[in-house]
Amino acid sequence: MLSGMEAHRDPHPVRLLVRDDLHRRRLTVFFRLVLAIPHILWVLLWTFLVVFAAVATYLAALVRGRPPAPLHVFLSAYVRYLTHLNAYLWLVADPYPGFSGAGDEYPVDVELPGPAAQSRWAILFRLPLAIPSLLLATALGGGGQVRFFTGSTSRTTFSGGGGALAGTAAVLGWFASLARGAMPKGLRDAGAYSVGYTAQVLAYLLLVTDRYPDSDPTAMLEEVERPPVHPVHLVGDAHDLRRSRVTVLLRLPLSLPHLVWLALWSVVAVLASIANWLVTLVRGRPAEPLHRFLSRFVRYQLHVSAFLYLAANSFPGFAGVEGVYPLDLALPGPERQSRPRTGFRLLLAVPALIVSGALGWGLFVTAVLTWFVALARGRAPWGLRNVAGYALRYSAQTSAYVLLLTDAYPHASPLEGAEPSQLSFDELE
Amino acid sequence: MSARRGAAALTAAAGWAVAAWLLWRTSVPSSVRLPRLDPHAFFGPAQLRAAASFSRVSGALWWGGTATELAALAVFARFGGRCARESAAGPVGTGMLLGMLGFALVWAVELPFGVAGLWWQRRHGIAHTGYLSYLFGDWAALGGEFVFLSFALAIVMGLARRLGRWWWAAAAPAFTALVVLFAFVGPYLLSTHRLGDASLAAAARRLEGRQGVGPVPVVVERVHDATSLPNAETSGLGPSRRIVLWDTLVDGRFGERELEVVVAHEIGHLAHEDIWRQVGWFALFAFPGTLLIGLATRRRGGMGEPAAVPLSLLVLVALQLAALPAQNAISRRIEAAADWSALDATRDPAAATTLFRRFVPTTLDEPSPGLLDYVFRESHPTIMQRLAMVRAWRSRRR
Repeated sequence: MLSGMEAHRDPHPVRLLVRDDLHRRRLTVFFRLVLAIPHILWVLLWTFLVVFAAVATYLAALVRGRPPAPLHVFLSAYVRYLTHLNAYLWLVADPYPGFSGAGDEYPVDVELPGPAAQSRWAILFRLPLAIPSLLLATALGGGGQVRFFTGSTSRTTFSGGGGALAGTAAVLGWFASLARGAMPKGLRDAGAYSVGYTAQVLAYLLLVTDRYPDSDPTAMLEEVERPPVHPVHLVGDAHDLRRSRVTVLLRLPLSLPHLVWLALWSVVAVLASIANWLVTLVRGRPAEPLHRFLSRFVRYQLHVSAFLYLAANSFPGFAGVEGVYPLDLALPGPERQSRPRTGFRLLLAVPALIVSGALGWGLFVTAVLTWFVALARGRAPWGLRNVAGYALRYSAQTSAYVLLLTDAYPHASPLEGAEPSQLSFDELE
Repeated sequence: MSARRGAAALTAAAGWAVAAWLLWRTSVPSSVRLPRLDPHAFFGPAQLRAAASFSRVSGALWWGGTATELAALAVFARFGGRCARESAAGPVGTGMLLGMLGFALVWAVELPFGVAGLWWQRRHGIAHTGYLSYLFGDWAALGGEFVFLSFALAIVMGLARRLGRWWWAAAAPAFTALVVLFAFVGPYLLSTHRLGDASLAAAARRLEGRQGVGPVPVVVERVHDATSLPNAETSGLGPSRRIVLWDTLVDGRFGERELEVVVAHEIGHLAHEDIWRQVGWFALFAFPGTLLIGLATRRRGGMGEPAAVPLSLLVLVALQLAALPAQNAISRRIEAAADWSALDATRDPAAATTLFRRFVPTTLDEPSPGLLDYVFRESHPTIMQRLAMVRAWRSRRR
């Protein structure tokens, strides 16, 4: 019925395999970039050859309707090697990778299909067709900042953008791995998802497969163990992909009253959170009225973001009421919280805010892509919707943590927590 | 019960009429009779032809845009309620969504007329705005309108859900209060700079004294990137009052004495407290207007129900169109009084004549438009009426 469900029944031919145990050797983590230098030089050389191989494959595939086997093997090895290298660089895996891109040698690997017949039309327009996935891959898999230049006036150049997910997870994971000797699972999963998606995009671009990259994080990390359920998680109808074309077209202006209202509400929420911080610090648990008020605020924030970024269809209400919006948030009650974690809450939240910022960039790209698709088809793509769900869930967990609704740290894994009885956002029937 | 209602309605109507009579009063002596003047005595045939040609197309675009807007809103009133299923926002939020969708529809259907109008003005050198800039350069203002519309609907629907059929009695004062707020705040939102012409500034001080108005800042707004039309306006209430001259007015095309007439005209508005007068008129129209919207939407459950919103938009626009002749008549009367004050203050009918004559080539306004255009589109006295007033003023001074 749904494209995502179809995809679920028919897995993507480029399959990510994660056998990493999260353990990291501090020494190799500390010198990770330096150690990667030979690989970086090697990959540059390999990329140079791949350009020619890709052009040759493109022309041959256009004529024959399938890529030539030797070139396909060469390009597959390149995709696999790049996956290993990315996993090593972004701390998704620990061992030093080999230089050949051989299969089964690395804890983070990809399964790639053999040379199969492909539609000539899809081959002919491969590059323009790949642009949306390249945009998303840049937001997810790039390292550091994605910059865009908005113009130059009086010799001043303005730039903006967001940190790409894999790079952000790697930087934060670097500190954590040095301190603990292990990569946090959430950051590892986030990195693995980015690496996997980049591999699918590359395989598509180099004609290794004609299957379009699937951005659904759940499908990508199908074999990865799910984290425990977080007290702040998404609930609602996971399969509501219908989008009204009219409201999609006008999504931004329709969101304006909500954005104004959210801005006004934020001012009060900041004051309430300061009061809540003091109360929680003294009593060890939040004040109930403040907790209720801030819960509504966080829920409303999610409703507005879900609407604005096309993760949901309906125009949301203005009160953040529980259970009325198709994409909703489960929040804990005013439970006991650790006083030290309360005292340093803002400081502790900095890494989560950084990850949230990186995911925000991905959310923006996702929304732009969804806008075009939903306008054309009247429904959102399953994969993009789930990326948006991931970003929104993490953002809500961060807000709830900062506003002292919970002392459970946001979990960066793209996978929703495992609690079988719960119908959550990225679970499939 | 019905007798009491009838008496209340009569009392309200009488109060309305008294208020309207008070606001209708003007400083132009009642004995003034405007002479009939022949446009050919003031303007060359080429000028008249150019103005007529320009106005013909502008008028056609205005009527086309208005008719299309009404037609689009009629369709939306019929089918717009279906969009309510896209909302999870409760009745008021759903009403806001429908209102914004209706507004977006109106914006979209009027866009071709706007672009055509821009093309026509650019062709005549009146507008300088680029097409892309026209389409994409004013999103902030458009967004502001979306926000204001949803805010207005939240007020109306909130009141309707609390007060039932009597919502209009509270909504009219609420909107009047908003108009006062915007009138006060408006000047602070304009980007202006001080008037650089020292002699004109000194003349303004002198004219303020003559017209019995305290010192009011005279500022210049930069518009020449968008248009070559000359214009000036008075805005603000109390401490925010100011006279705004467009930079296209002080770009050298008009002489010092002509500019003094313009400034005296604007000071005349201040002397007559015309912003308050317009607020008063707004309030007078708001009461029956909201009542009529309330009556028209009763069959859809009243303004508390989202289903009534699409119809209310149609009724609102239709009422605005119906009230336009009266509003233009009021506006023309206010402007005529300001012209008379300017003549009294400057005592320079020759400058006023030159100024009004210069308006035709610079604005391509028709000196004496047809009846329909005059009734629906002229918010100021026509050029010939303004020239006739100068002549009437001059003959009274003799």
